[in-house]
Amino acid sequence: MMLEGYPKQITLRDGSALVIRPIEAKDEEALLAFYRALPEEDRLFLRDDVTSQQWADRFIGSIDYEKVIPLLAEAGGEVIANGTLYRTLHGWTTHVAEIRMAVARSFQRRGLGTAMLRELVRVATSVGAEKMIANVVDNQVGAFRAFEKRGFHREAVLKGHVKDIHGFKRDLVIMSNDVSHIWDAMAAMVADYSPTLGG
Amino acid sequence: MPKTEIRVGGLGGQGVILCGHIIGKAASIYDHKHATLIQAFGPEARGSACSAQVSLDEEPIGYPYVKRPDVLIVMSPDAYFQFVPSLRPGGVLLYESELVALDDRLPEGVTAYGIPATRLAEDLGRRLVLNIVMVGFFVGATGLVSPEAAERAVIHSVPKGTEQLNQRAFRKGYEFGLELTGRGNGGPRHDA
Repeated sequence: MMLEGYPKQITLRDGSALVIRPIEAKDEEALLAFYRALPEEDRLFLRDDVTSQQWADRFIGSIDYEKVIPLLAEAGGEVIANGTLYRTLHGWTTHVAEIRMAVARSFQRRGLGTAMLRELVRVATSVGAEKMIANVVDNQVGAFRAFEKRGFHREAVLKGHVKDIHGFKRDLVIMSNDVSHIWDAMAAMVADYSPTLGG
Repeated sequence: MPKTEIRVGGLGGQGVILCGHIIGKAASIYDHKHATLIQAFGPEARGSACSAQVSLDEEPIGYPYVKRPDVLIVMSPDAYFQFVPSLRPGGVLLYESELVALDDRLPEGVTAYGIPATRLAEDLGRRLVLNIVMVGFFVGATGLVSPEAAERAVIHSVPKGTEQLNQRAFRKGYEFGLELTGRGNGGPRHDA
């Protein structure tokens, strides 16, 4: 599958210009540098040790736009955010796409997270996803704001599910955005039925 | 372009009417020709036979009904059985190749091109867009509507939020049509 419309130039509300585009194999070193520069506090909530070369090799090797659709934002030749859409192609959650995202500290609270999410939601609907989910830790205020701006709401809370850098247990919030209504609208449009014009 | 008559046939829920509507919209609004649309629904919301009659012309169209279509698009066996005898000899049949099997009802001189539109739509993520794959296939195989006009008509006809997937569906069908007919490069690859 080809991702269309990229690279995309965007301007943040403070005037910063940057580019959002799909990650390619050549981005491995820049992506690793991005994650190594993230504060440990930010990395702690990620599922993998994203500072290791093995992770980078595995992540780049796993890119398959049918299942894993990774985007990056870059400015001044450096990666400043990574957002990835994960799909399941078999089983009972094929209609669900999961979003994972990380933004450089220097670009947080500047609208970049919202911009990345807008792209990921657009990509998710373009592959037919009906629902998007994301895991957010209860103290990630900026992440909540960005997800809520893009139509997500707090669907479930797993109490004391994660530990922060100080060893304190924190709640993990599962946020979701159900876009199945757009497909309901499409289904109605192709119904080929009119109760008033029948026959 | 002389007046061209098109019939689209299939089952309720396959988007037959929307397929005809988009072809007419592309020709009239975006290619600045003239088009008419007649639609016939079955009594049930899903699964009943339905069809659309589309006429395209450079001149205003005085008679909108399609009796002997130049192009027949069928998405179900019933639509094939019902409409293929009326297809003009030498016309073009575009059919859903995994749902429709050709037989000796096909009028003489008809060129038939098949596309597994349902499977292609499922591969894209939603079976719902099979009719948009068929629109793309029609444009790629016949060239009766410009691809730019048709793509604009698709984007402006589908619900907000579904544009990207429908655009991909259109392009999938369009490229399939170009390749199968050889309109993109080389010669045609007829399968009937």
